[in-house]
Amino acid sequence: MRNTERRPWSIADFTIRLVLLVLAALLLLALQLTGQLRGVQSTITQITSPAQLGATSVTGSAAELVSFVLQLGTLSQRAAELEQINGSLQSELFRLTEVERENGELRRFLQFAQERPGLALRGAQIVGRVIGQESTNFLDFILLDLGQIHGIEVGMPVVTDQGLVGRVSQVNNSVCKVLLITDVNSAINALLQQSRLPGVIRGTARGDLIMDFIPQGVKFEVGEIVLTSGLGGRFPANIPIGRVIEIRQRDIDIVQQAVVQPLVDFNSLELAAVVTNFNPSEEIHDLLLNEPPPPDIGGASLLTGTLSLTGTVPLTATTPVTVAGAEGTP
Amino acid sequence: MNRGWFFYLMPFLLLAASLLQSTAASRIQVRGVKPDLVLLLVVVGTLIYGSREGLLWAFIGGLALDLFSGGPLGSSSLALMAATLVAGVGYSSLSRYHLLVPLSAIALGTLVYGVSYVGILLALEALANFPALAEVPLDLVRPDLDLPLWSTLFGPTVQYIVLPALFYNTVLMLLITPVLNRVPERQE
Repeated sequence: MRNTERRPWSIADFTIRLVLLVLAALLLLALQLTGQLRGVQSTITQITSPAQLGATSVTGSAAELVSFVLQLGTLSQRAAELEQINGSLQSELFRLTEVERENGELRRFLQFAQERPGLALRGAQIVGRVIGQESTNFLDFILLDLGQIHGIEVGMPVVTDQGLVGRVSQVNNSVCKVLLITDVNSAINALLQQSRLPGVIRGTARGDLIMDFIPQGVKFEVGEIVLTSGLGGRFPANIPIGRVIEIRQRDIDIVQQAVVQPLVDFNSLELAAVVTNFNPSEEIHDLLLNEPPPPDIGGASLLTGTLSLTGTVPLTATTPVTVAGAEGTP
Repeated sequence: MNRGWFFYLMPFLLLAASLLQSTAASRIQVRGVKPDLVLLLVVVGTLIYGSREGLLWAFIGGLALDLFSGGPLGSSSLALMAATLVAGVGYSSLSRYHLLVPLSAIALGTLVYGVSYVGILLALEALANFPALAEVPLDLVRPDLDLPLWSTLFGPTVQYIVLPALFYNTVLMLLITPVLNRVPERQE
């Protein structure tokens, strides 16, 4: 290998080298200025241009890579920000969807109340569902966030815009327990809307409803709507209960039965309203027993006639809706 | 790092630096100022091997730079040789392991290189109307001043190009000083 320091530093050597190189550079400059190097430069350019193109391409890719790497931190931060925005938007979307759904539900409640101006309805949210816990182990309750401070009393009917839910079976200060119509202990005097046949709706362990004690010998159709008849005084008349999905008729029986599907979807129940101006009365029941039998459901007419009240439906804490000439709040 | 290997690598490194200077330097420019990669390498070579070898690197590097960049052939060589003379002043008396030595060398080298190159271009323009100053940002020139062309171009060029490049090159030298320090000193 060459010894790069084989010779000591010499001013003369240095000067000669400097002068030679400067002269060479000046010569090149002069040659170029006079156009003598055009051919050489053209040839050199043809040789070097592919290398320059390659270098440009490689450095361009490298620059993009470096730029990407440098942006990684920013991208990560940006992604985090976008995720945060996305999360808040999704939350907002969820909230608005809930509001929309609730709005629709309240509108249906409003329509329900407007069609029944005689009922004073007080809206409530379902705060809990209790299945069992009682002696029979088959009791089906829901809990509402309404209690004595809201004027709720035992026996008051509970409805939704779809129909009858049940009745208040227990009340404490701020919460009430509602026995659903699907509970096996529930029995409601009912009426088939078209054929005007009376019967008694009771719950089953399966969650269906059975309409029992339908007079034999009279025909009715699957699909008929079942309403409360008002008989017995426990419920106002003409509240939808369900739809007949099966008829059980045997000639040897003295009555017919019908399997009824509740109109209320108890699995998705979120809002309900308590009819606060209806006082279930055994006296009324006794009175009604003396009334002519259906289809002249006199008891119901009497009830709606005498209990023509209006009220409020503060269905949720956030969305109070006044229904049909509201009067007063809790 | 072996001094001999680095010595023989220098021509290739200079070619590569020239190529990068004409292709990649614009990608790492800061506020419109590109680093002088060839100058940096020549100064490093001068710090290691002295001005005598540095002159050769300056000539070769300048030639390659002019070939790749299309400048007046020989002008870069002259400017780089001037820078080498300045950068190699303390070669025999100062230890390059002192941080100030390479930083001062590159700072002075950049200043001399820039001033020399602009001076050569102006001289060429005056001598042969060579359009070498096309790359100088003429919007930096203040036409309201009734000064000769060389002064109206020279001042802004030094202020807006040479001095920022001086700072850029010094920062790069600071970064490569640890590598430079791994090359052993000349054995007397």
